[in-house]
Amino acid sequence: MKGRLGFGVVLLVVPLLIAIFGPFFVPDEVTRGRAFVETGILGTDFVGRDVLHQVLLGGRTVVLVALIATGLSYAVGVPLALVAAMARRRWLDELLMRPLDIVLAVPSLLVLILVAGVAPRGYTTVVLVVAVVTVPDIARVARAAALEVSSRPALEAMRLQGESRWRLAFGYVVPTVAPTLVADLGVRITAALYLVASASFLGVGVAPDAADWAVMVDRNQAGLFLVPSAVVVPAALIIAWSVGVNLVFDRAVRR
Amino acid sequence: MSLGRYACRRLLLGLVQVLAVLVAVFLLVEALPGDAAVALAGDNPDPARVAAIRAAMGLDQPLVTRFGEWLHALVRGDLGESLVSGRPVADFLADGLPTTLLLAGLTMLLLVPSSVVLGVFVARRAGGRVDRVVTALTIGLHAVPEFALAIVLVALFGVELGWLPPTALGADPLADPAVLVLPVIVLLARPLCAVTRLVRAAMVDALASDYVRHARRLGLSRARVDYAHALPNALAPAVQQLARTTDWLLGGVIVVEAVFVIPGLGTSLVDAVAGRDMPVVQGLAVLFGVTTVLVNLLADVVAFRLAPRAGSAA
Repeated sequence: MKGRLGFGVVLLVVPLLIAIFGPFFVPDEVTRGRAFVETGILGTDFVGRDVLHQVLLGGRTVVLVALIATGLSYAVGVPLALVAAMARRRWLDELLMRPLDIVLAVPSLLVLILVAGVAPRGYTTVVLVVAVVTVPDIARVARAAALEVSSRPALEAMRLQGESRWRLAFGYVVPTVAPTLVADLGVRITAALYLVASASFLGVGVAPDAADWAVMVDRNQAGLFLVPSAVVVPAALIIAWSVGVNLVFDRAVRR
Repeated sequence: MSLGRYACRRLLLGLVQVLAVLVAVFLLVEALPGDAAVALAGDNPDPARVAAIRAAMGLDQPLVTRFGEWLHALVRGDLGESLVSGRPVADFLADGLPTTLLLAGLTMLLLVPSSVVLGVFVARRAGGRVDRVVTALTIGLHAVPEFALAIVLVALFGVELGWLPPTALGADPLADPAVLVLPVIVLLARPLCAVTRLVRAAMVDALASDYVRHARRLGLSRARVDYAHALPNALAPAVQQLARTTDWLLGGVIVVEAVFVIPGLGTSLVDAVAGRDMPVVQGLAVLFGVTTVLVNLLADVVAFRLAPRAGSAA
């Protein structure tokens, strides 16, 4: 069990460090040589850029876009769930939660491809769409947890004492449901990573020559026989981060 | 709640979902700047000509009228024509459907027995070394993006070892099934992890329940207790998860077709989105969306039949 956690931490930390600090080790000007030759440590990519530099640069978008999108969907989903769960009137609850069932009914990746493929290109679009498709899952979990809490006698007592709803929500309900939400966090982060990386790989919402691990896998696939590292290294980093996040958070939940 | 009533309620929700999908797909195209008339008018559009085309195509009608007409054509099977090639959209669907169905169907066919067998296998050894290894693997791998997994497998088995073809480029999947091995393994990875975990958890619960303990005390054989009594109860949550995995499967198919250059619906969709060929995008989106809604509907009803308590909350 300890071994699994250690393994998970390594898988989580290595890509994260490369993503955050990698760009500081890359010279500002891009040198271009011939495409797909085995020079340097990892060779060159499809337009002759150094693969090592691209790997150091390309984690920021993949990792950070996924994290920002997750943060945003919690920021929207949790308050939504609180209002729904603490609503005195049932129709308000239904009004807030039913539309989410419809988003859940369609494959997330399909929505992302359609909207991000049509909307103006850029990471803002990707963040927004990923947040929209992951809000329903978070809101559902948060609502179920908050519903249980908001029917407790303690909360009823506070209500009778005339505490404001705001204080009830953030002073009592949020701290009580927080562990449930954190338990879910690992799954949500990897789900966002999955969507962001898959969309980038399909060329949706990103520039075709962007320094991005997923874009690298797509673009350098043509040179798989010549410079396998240009494809395998970024792919392995994406896999490592996804597996690492899951192992570490799963472990944190069991404690 | 009786099965009939539940099925009716669920069907109603399904209809609303289908309608919502249709509205969303229609509005998605409406939200685009410029319309088909501008696209048809060429590089240097003359406003009078654009207006004439618009009137001829009925684009000057109010939104609701056009939605009604689009819906009406859709029901008759008329999906319009590609803006790029002028081919009917229905042809795109007919071309890609067999390949995509083959991929998704093969994966589903392998998924059900393998996840149940694996889940039951580790549940009967809960806490042991095999269980710990399999659990760690299913937790770790369940959200790995298909393209990353695919490319690593291709580099290993297709390039380094040369055992399997690295792409399906130019091959007929039916004549040369070897090209399908890697795609199906990649598609299988995520759902297999999810369903195996669920079967394992449900089976562990079932094995610890009172009725299983009672059956054991009656002297029934272990195999009989496990497979005839515990297993059926453990399967209801797995059926619902199985339906949820069709969401992933449909998303995954798009990615896997792109990685292995398989000419299916996913490839058509990605190409159409890249080329802004909106009628094709609409047609494919409707097909994907409606399929998902229907599969989920079916699974919810089946799960309700298997364990009425579990589904009654929905």
